Amino acid sequence: MIEALFLLFGLFIMFFGTLGLLRFPDVYTRLHATAKCDTGGAISILTALAMASDFPLVVKLKFFVMALTIAMINPMVSHAIARAAYKSGIKPKATVDMYAWDNP
Amino acid sequence: MSRIHFYLRSRLEEVRKRVLYESYEAKKLPAWERVGITWLALFAFWVVVSGKFSPPHLATGAVVTFIVALITRDFLTDDIRQTGHLLSKALYIFLFLISQYLFIMAFRLLESNLRVVRNVILMDINPGIVKVKTDLHSNTGLTVLANSITLTPGTLTLDVDKKLGEAYLYVHWINVETLDQEKIGMKIKGELEEWLKKIFW
Repeated sequence: MIEALFLLFGLFIMFFGTLGLLRFPDVYTRLHATAKCDTGGAISILTALAMASDFPLVVKLKFFVMALTIAMINPMVSHAIARAAYKSGIKPKATVDMYAWDNP
Repeated sequence: MSRIHFYLRSRLEEVRKRVLYESYEAKKLPAWERVGITWLALFAFWVVVSGKFSPPHLATGAVVTFIVALITRDFLTDDIRQTGHLLSKALYIFLFLISQYLFIMAFRLLESNLRVVRNVILMDINPGIVKVKTDLHSNTGLTVLANSITLTPGTLTLDVDKKLGEAYLYVHWINVETLDQEKIGMKIKGELEEWLKKIFW
C-alpha cells in the first residue's frame, strides 16, 4: 500500500517536471524543473521498488546507494549545464543579473 | 576626516578574517587520521555494494580499501575540522551529523518538488541571479553547500567565485523577493551553512 503511494508520488513529480521543462521560458528555469523533479521522483520510485521487491536486505540497501548517488550527481550536472550555457552566451530572462555585473 | 575610522575598522576586520583563515589552514588533520576516516567510508561502501559477509570477502575488502585510502587520503578529508579524538570524531560524523543532514535534505527536497509543481501550474516566477557570500572556505564544504542549495526550494547554483579568504556563490533564484545581501543569505543558505560548519571549515 505504502509503496503504491510512493510510486504514484514519483509519477506525479516526474509528470510535472516534464511539464515544467516544456512550459518554462529559458534554460535556467527549465533546469530548476529537471534537476529537482528528477531527483525527487527517482528517489521516490527507488524507495517504492526497495519496499515492494522481495530481495534480501543487502540488495535493498543498494537501491538507497543508487538514490544517494543520484542526489549527489544530479546537482553537479545541472550546475555544469547552467554554467556552460552562461559561458556560451545565453542570456537569462531575469530581473536582476549579478553574475553579469561581476563578469563583464 | 571621519571616513578614515570606518576604513580602518573594515581593514581590521579583513586582517582578522585572514588570520582566522590561516589558523584553520595550519591545523589540518594528521595523515593517519585522514587515512582512517577515508578507510571507514570506503569500507562501508564496499560492504553495501558487494553484499557478501563471509570472512574472505571482508578481508579482501579491508585490504583493498586500505590501499585505496592510502593513495586518496587527501580527497575526502582534507577539509575536516580538527576537534576531538579520531574514533569519537568518526562516529560523530558518520552516525550523527551525516544522517541528520540527510534527513533535513530529504524534507527540503520534498518541499522543493512541491514548490516546482506549484510554479509549473501557476507560472508565478520572477527569476534572477543573485550573489551570496558564504562563510565556508574549504573546497569540499563549498561543493556540498552548492549541491545542497541546488536541491533546496527555488534556487540553483550557477557558479562559485573563490578569492583569497572569501567565497561567493552565484545563485539563480526563481522568485526574487529581496536584494538585501543579509536577507538573501538568510533565505538561501538558511540553516544549511550552520550544519556544514560543524564538519568543514
